[in-house]
Amino acid sequence: MPELRKDPVVGRWVIIAKERAKRPNDFKKGFQGPPEGECPFCEGKEHLTPPEVYAVRSAGYKKDGPRWQVRVIPSKAPFLKIEGNLDRRADGIYDIMNGIGAHELVIETPKHISNIADLSQDQITNVLETYIQRIDDLEKDKRFKYVLVFKNHGWLSGGGRVKHCKSQIIAMPVNPKRVKEELVGASRYYEYHERCIFCDLVKQELKSKERLVCDIDGFVAITPFASRFPFEMWILPKEHNCDFSKSNKDNLPHLADVLKKVLTKLKVGLDDPPYNFIIHTAPFRKRKPGYWKTINEDFHWHIEIIPRLTKVAGFEWGTGFYICPVPPENAAEFLRGVKV
Amino acid sequence: MAELRRDPILGRWGIINTDKTANIDDFEREKHEPKKGLCVFCYGNEDKTPIEIEAFRMPDTKPNTPGWTVRVIPNKFPALQIEGNLDKRGLGIFDLSNGIGAHEVIVDTPYHDKNIPELEIDEVRDMLYMYSRRAMDLIKDKRFKYIMIFKNYGFSAGASLEHPHSQLIALPMVPKNAAEELRGAQKYFEFRGRCIFCDMIAQEIKEKKRIVFENDDYVAFCPFVPRFSFETWILPKKHHASLYKYADSAEKLDGLAAILKEVLLRLKISLQDPAYNYIIHCAPSYSMESVSYHWHIEIIPKLTRVAGFEWGTGFYMVSFPPELSAQKLRQVKK
Repeated sequence: MPELRKDPVVGRWVIIAKERAKRPNDFKKGFQGPPEGECPFCEGKEHLTPPEVYAVRSAGYKKDGPRWQVRVIPSKAPFLKIEGNLDRRADGIYDIMNGIGAHELVIETPKHISNIADLSQDQITNVLETYIQRIDDLEKDKRFKYVLVFKNHGWLSGGGRVKHCKSQIIAMPVNPKRVKEELVGASRYYEYHERCIFCDLVKQELKSKERLVCDIDGFVAITPFASRFPFEMWILPKEHNCDFSKSNKDNLPHLADVLKKVLTKLKVGLDDPPYNFIIHTAPFRKRKPGYWKTINEDFHWHIEIIPRLTKVAGFEWGTGFYICPVPPENAAEFLRGVKV
Repeated sequence: MAELRRDPILGRWGIINTDKTANIDDFEREKHEPKKGLCVFCYGNEDKTPIEIEAFRMPDTKPNTPGWTVRVIPNKFPALQIEGNLDKRGLGIFDLSNGIGAHEVIVDTPYHDKNIPELEIDEVRDMLYMYSRRAMDLIKDKRFKYIMIFKNYGFSAGASLEHPHSQLIALPMVPKNAAEELRGAQKYFEFRGRCIFCDMIAQEIKEKKRIVFENDDYVAFCPFVPRFSFETWILPKKHHASLYKYADSAEKLDGLAAILKEVLLRLKISLQDPAYNYIIHCAPSYSMESVSYHWHIEIIPKLTRVAGFEWGTGFYMVSFPPELSAQKLRQVKK
């Protein structure tokens, strides 16, 4: 019997189709993308990109030159632009504002490596520190409400032609819908229980262990109860904090370690599948004091990793209702078993 | 300057690139290469599918034999099962229930290589009439709250079989996207005392810039806040909450068949046969007379991949503004 499961935070239902259950090697490897040209992100090719916004670089070396470890540049084809005013207005029954925002690329390594899983723990720590630097800087801009940090790995996940590993940062003047839903769900739970739903979730997952992928140094990786996608994973800190950029920096090497472990498991176990990861963190809160009253207590930052092994079709678009052909318990068991 | 536009129903924001637009030729297109081998939906292979639920047939032909024009069968690999009880239960902080529902396949036509743009209007009309018949039949089952009928065309839109077909899913709850749409429309109605879709139709017909096609009873336009380039909606000009309730005879569906065929043909020509999904949005079974909700069809061509940004935010970046999509679709030479 298939099961209908409800995500406890946003209330989204998914169908866990046990009868249609697929094994890990049932997923075919899709199109890998067109051949790569010259890589503009490698060390020594700095002149091929727009001038950098930020870099982690060895002392004594110049901006937009070599000897960097992590480099942040503005996107060459930004959807949102940094200059201008929002100018919110109406057009009949519709609402519009100017497309103001920031769109940056974080080049995660000077070497031509495509998967962040293959970087060293220290290098991944550098990348995570860079995210925090950029978020803190963008927070100073009063026009922005939210900063999204995410990664598209592989052609089928939207990773683009250049395979050099990178992530993206987008600062936005509005809170995106998915983020709002999570915030609303978490605050409702808090109102009723006076506890953080994510803290409760971590405790339940650690106790049952069925969906646990790993538990190291203050972080857990789980396959969520109402997984939308096969092998979907969430990484959560055990220590409660709503804001990724304000969390304890001493923990970043541990987060880097967990991220490297789970992404390596994905790479080894499922033959380097395309995936997206997204950091879910609290919005900037200074502008409307009191708007998110209990956010410090009710929300809990985390990372969602979604391997792109299945196609999203009419059913999913129409309903916001997902069919997952691998029960998360089986996915977790498989991922625990992948030796890295 | 790109524009941030807010969907008036869902409150979802979209980024619409309005200055430098993408070139139509930059979109990835899927090649439709005919698959060889046996097709279980073709005449003569009726015994290779599960037993048919309903079919329109020529006189004196028997079920599960050739001679049908539209045929409905249960999905061979259903996502939900028809027998059993929901048995809602908790598991710590989680909620779950049994996966009860119906999952049917509607074989649109006996022709293996004729899709909606190639079919005659009365053939499309019969397919649509079958949608309504199946939906009204399943609505009688009190376990089901929502019926969704949709089509995946092309591999990248999720179709696994080539023979033209549509799918129906009956669900024991109103799914999230539909619930949000219903709630958004309800709020607007409470505030203004009018249907938001009726208002939208009035504004679109007046402004004309996003209109793709219009006939006496229906209008097709590219929505002000699309999720995808060339996204197109078809709506009845008269207020009805449910197509299924309204369409109690095939004759009522001539106008809809004509506009659906027209729009899909225009998409096919201007985008060189793209993969697409269409989804029929109707009010749930318990509010088919709703004054605030207005049924419609959403057609979404699959021209770009959905990436981390869209998943993380529910916020879509669209490279082709709807004003330009509509213009291209209006100008198609047939």
